Amino acid sequence: MSDGHAWRGNWKARLYERVREQGFTSLTAFAEARPATPLHVLAEELGKDDLTGVQVLSELLAEAEQRKQVTRFMRDVLVRLLSESLPDGWPAVMDDEARFAVAEALGSWSAYTPETHKERARQVRAALRTTPPPPGWRPSGPDDELLRTLLPDEEV
Amino acid sequence: MRLTPLGLGCITALVTSCVTGDGRTGFPGEAATSYRQELKPAAHSFSARASPPPSTSEPGRQLVTHTRQALLGALNDVERSRAGIASSLRQLTEPRSLGGRANGVFTRHIVYGSNQLQWLHGALGGVTTLAGAAWEVDEPDMELALLRLTGPRLQAAMSGATLLAVWTDFLNLADAVLRQCPAYGTERLYADINRVQRLIAPSMGALSSLEPAQVEAAAVAMPELMGQLTREFHSIHEGARVATERAGQLMAAAQLVEMLTLVSALRMSLPRLPPAAPATLGMGLVMGSNGVMVGSRLAVSAEWVERMRRLVQAGIISLPAVSAAVRIHGGQVMMAQANQELPKGVRDALGDGPEVRGMHETGRAGAGMADPPQHHVLPREHRVWFEKRGFKGAMDIDQFCVELELAHHQAIHGGGNWRLGRMWPGEWNRMIMEALREAELEAGRMLTRNAILKLVAKRMKDYGIPMNFSPWRGP
Repeated sequence: MSDGHAWRGNWKARLYERVREQGFTSLTAFAEARPATPLHVLAEELGKDDLTGVQVLSELLAEAEQRKQVTRFMRDVLVRLLSESLPDGWPAVMDDEARFAVAEALGSWSAYTPETHKERARQVRAALRTTPPPPGWRPSGPDDELLRTLLPDEEV
Repeated sequence: MRLTPLGLGCITALVTSCVTGDGRTGFPGEAATSYRQELKPAAHSFSARASPPPSTSEPGRQLVTHTRQALLGALNDVERSRAGIASSLRQLTEPRSLGGRANGVFTRHIVYGSNQLQWLHGALGGVTTLAGAAWEVDEPDMELALLRLTGPRLQAAMSGATLLAVWTDFLNLADAVLRQCPAYGTERLYADINRVQRLIAPSMGALSSLEPAQVEAAAVAMPELMGQLTREFHSIHEGARVATERAGQLMAAAQLVEMLTLVSALRMSLPRLPPAAPATLGMGLVMGSNGVMVGSRLAVSAEWVERMRRLVQAGIISLPAVSAAVRIHGGQVMMAQANQELPKGVRDALGDGPEVRGMHETGRAGAGMADPPQHHVLPREHRVWFEKRGFKGAMDIDQFCVELELAHHQAIHGGGNWRLGRMWPGEWNRMIMEALREAELEAGRMLTRNAILKLVAKRMKDYGIPMNFSPWRGP
């Protein structure tokens, strides 16, 4: 875990240098090769002590904005958060523990969503509440069918 | 009463040492050993979770389990001696005991003891609360971080109970002297006990503050203080015997010796009087298969050593503080060289190593470095919100501070060279409150303290915030 080293120097340059070292041309490509992996694990793979998950998140968003793929970015982040909070997939029984685990993933997702898309996130969460996914649902990446229905790519 | 067989054993030990002057059968370590034979949880609230969750990795889980067991064992030890002291103090307040003698001039000394019981009780309660919260949170990093928060309270309670046991011994001695040796004089005894209180009070005050640096300093200085107190104890004892003999009351003088061996609380605390010749620190302390031995006597059991090793390695209590406890149990209390170390075998058994030494150096003002700035992980401006969800007392949000170097601190607050762009203000306080509030909306009910800790632990990982809390030191 980073202990302050992550913010020293030019961390963006450091981040992209590591991405290139791993043989990827963009952070998005690096992340897509590791779908459903928590953000802090992505960061550790790039630099164990000198990069953090939130830096990865901010640069993924920056790239997504350039590519006009912010909704895809949102699906990608949601999948990562779900895999972290619900490692066994969507709960079959909504007891308190399960309810809080779902809330943890979706609440964090809203907080990690850019201002422009927060309303979209709210709509997706409402839809998930009205029509819950099947028990054990564990999206494997941003192309998950259910997620694409709930949050389709934006018209360019 | 549970303690009776133990008490008898100790009285035998004391008689032996009084009669022969040979301290081989000293009692504190043995008493501690005997307590452990009948370990029974003194803490009550840990049985809620039936089985460990499947999601966490095995080694991490095991470390947490061992640490928690060691913590509960230590907690039990202290709780047990606290109960013994409380009952002794109660007996002393009875009209025919110290409280009722000499027109009650010693009442304030008994009250002083009872007051210490209260903070001790509070400290142990805090440890229980934090350990209970750790048990529920089911997130190894956060669990260890919460267990580490118990450190100053546990250390304060351990050292405080030892010191209070000694104080109770002095009160029992005073009671015995008043009873058996009128020739010694009440005024002289009163002055003696006041002097002892002045010796004890600064350390007791430091321990009761529960403030990490003060507690640590007091714990490390304990052996020297115990040495002074041992001298005081024997000097009062001897003075009373001589005064009584001079008054021609040979029978009473003999009875005093007998009396002291029978006083119920005297089993608890003081090491034997060490030899007059200056001893080398650590001399005779050897790590054996049963524990730390002094000659043929067991000072502390292997089980105790193992428990302390785990607490030291988890960063809950410090190696110097544990070493001080070993010295006290080993009767090595007269030496002023507090910084001198225990023999290597004993240190190794206690888990000494570079990483352990490094652990307690960071953030220490004594190291000559300014403390790094602290940051509230649970934002202070939302104190009320957290209080409503159970962050009170030992779990107050002031407990959940992390030390961050300046660049990191600025970064997570959205300052410095942290430029995320206008779309997404990722500033920690705003982000974490939004995540928590949205989670609460999502759950459709108030988040539990536990649910909050789990969420916060995950977001701390994303932000690279070390899971190592230190209580707020103030602005």
